[in-house]
Amino acid sequence: MTSSRGVGIRGAGDRSAGDRSAGDRGAGDPPVIRVEGLTKRYGRRTAVDDLSFTVRSGRVTGFFGPNGAGKTTALKAVVGLARPTAGGAFLRGTPVTAVRPDARLLGVHIEPCGAHPGRTGRAHLRSLAALAGLPRRRVGEVLELVGLEEAARRRVGKYSLGMRQRLGLAAALLGDPEILVLDEPVNGLDPQGIRWLRTLVRERAAHGGTVLLSSHMLGEAAQTVDDVVVIDRGRLVHAGAIRDLERSGESAVAVRTAEAGRLSALVAAAGGRTKAAGGGGLLVEGLDAAEVARLAHREGVLLEEIVERTASLEDAFFGLTGGADR
Amino acid sequence: MSRLLRGELIKAVTTRSVLGFALGGVAFAALNALAIAAWSGTLDEVPEKEEALSALPILLLLWGLVGTAGEYRHRTAAPAALVARRHRGVVLSARITAYALTGFLLGTLTTMVSVGLALPLLSDHPGPDLTSGDVGAVVAGNLVAFVLSAILGAALGALIRSPVLGVVVLLVVNFAVVPLLSGVWEAGVNLTPFGAAGVLSRMTHHTTLSVVSAGWVLAAWTVAVTLVAVLVERRRDLA
Repeated sequence: MTSSRGVGIRGAGDRSAGDRSAGDRGAGDPPVIRVEGLTKRYGRRTAVDDLSFTVRSGRVTGFFGPNGAGKTTALKAVVGLARPTAGGAFLRGTPVTAVRPDARLLGVHIEPCGAHPGRTGRAHLRSLAALAGLPRRRVGEVLELVGLEEAARRRVGKYSLGMRQRLGLAAALLGDPEILVLDEPVNGLDPQGIRWLRTLVRERAAHGGTVLLSSHMLGEAAQTVDDVVVIDRGRLVHAGAIRDLERSGESAVAVRTAEAGRLSALVAAAGGRTKAAGGGGLLVEGLDAAEVARLAHREGVLLEEIVERTASLEDAFFGLTGGADR
Repeated sequence: MSRLLRGELIKAVTTRSVLGFALGGVAFAALNALAIAAWSGTLDEVPEKEEALSALPILLLLWGLVGTAGEYRHRTAAPAALVARRHRGVVLSARITAYALTGFLLGTLTTMVSVGLALPLLSDHPGPDLTSGDVGAVVAGNLVAFVLSAILGAALGALIRSPVLGVVVLLVVNFAVVPLLSGVWEAGVNLTPFGAAGVLSRMTHHTTLSVVSAGWVLAAWTVAVTLVAVLVERRRDLA
């Protein structure tokens, strides 16, 4: 697979310091996507309930939630495929219902890939290119980009899940759009494909593009995204930078020392808290490991063991969505 | 509109359905020509001979219906709507036009088979021969019935959105509702799309409805259903 927009593939394909600064450039800009009070009901069932969040340019925003949280429904409303019961979505300040659908502005991949099983991958993309008024050569370009050139003449019904996913991504990338909205894009992709996708979305964000991608696996997608929106049962439970979510997890420092009482007093004086942990150990909260180590060294308390215990993003995600209890 | 039509035409002709419907249409046209002109006894009236040249417009109704409903069944309508740079009603209009054009080509093919097979066989029958004007009128009626049926089917497909349900509805109406109506109000059958298409393609003769009037009846149904489909398309969710 090759890279889009003529940018070389970065080694890791993960979020780097350079990417973060690129993302931060968009921090003060007006949001590219603004969702306000979005509600979608199907009969008595409320799939999305009063959802509001924003997506900024130059950022990759992850849209997370457990299965059935309403992510796909919300994304369909964001791109204009579903009509909200109340509220709405805005693209660059214009209600999405008033935006002229254009492959150059908005590239969308929502599962399933939207290709007829009896049609070849190439024919599917050719029809979309014709509908979008794009040159036919774009079909070959995106097929190469997603690594489907050899399978392009096979019928979509014969494709594996990963190949259908790649075809859906190719369709989303046909117009080299400013905004990409991808629903569970890593589903069915092999590790190489996941890495390629990470690189692709990071590069697009680094070049000022906007990416909104959904997933039910926060830990996996965390390597790619700058901002997160977490929903549960159709409602917003968290929105912000992923760094804030990473920090929001309750981290603690596990310490073993023969002078537990004295260390507890020192920690309390330094603004931290301690809890007794099994085996004569202490769990220190409110100070990081370096601070605890410096404090112990300065006061001559011998530490036999010191370990920083950081809550994982999954822990934070389960804390937000109550997923661990399901 | 031309790019939309081009995109929709690519979709219409790049599945195996088009081949299936072409073969089905040709097979029916051949069977109908043989059944009427060769196997059903003496034909000594012009309307009876014209019937041998008729094809099956309901096939094109199915062509449009299955194709357009399949757009929703396979979720192909959503990506098309997202790239089209026009609102969904215009996209659906382009799709329906694509089915009208392909319907015309399929209709031309099946009509050529009907005429090519039936005319030599009809020359053996007594009574007045079909003039070139008669043949031309039957061919024109068939083609109009085919195109209008394809449009009507495509519009119905956009409304029903399920190929299986659409086919079931169509068969129930054709084989249950229309015969029931015929028992209650015989002349009313010609005012249904099926009845009008039958008159227009000469499958039905000796009716009170003229061929031209049948064309208007079928056109009225087609325009009405198409307008509803286009209006509804703009308001319904996709995918």
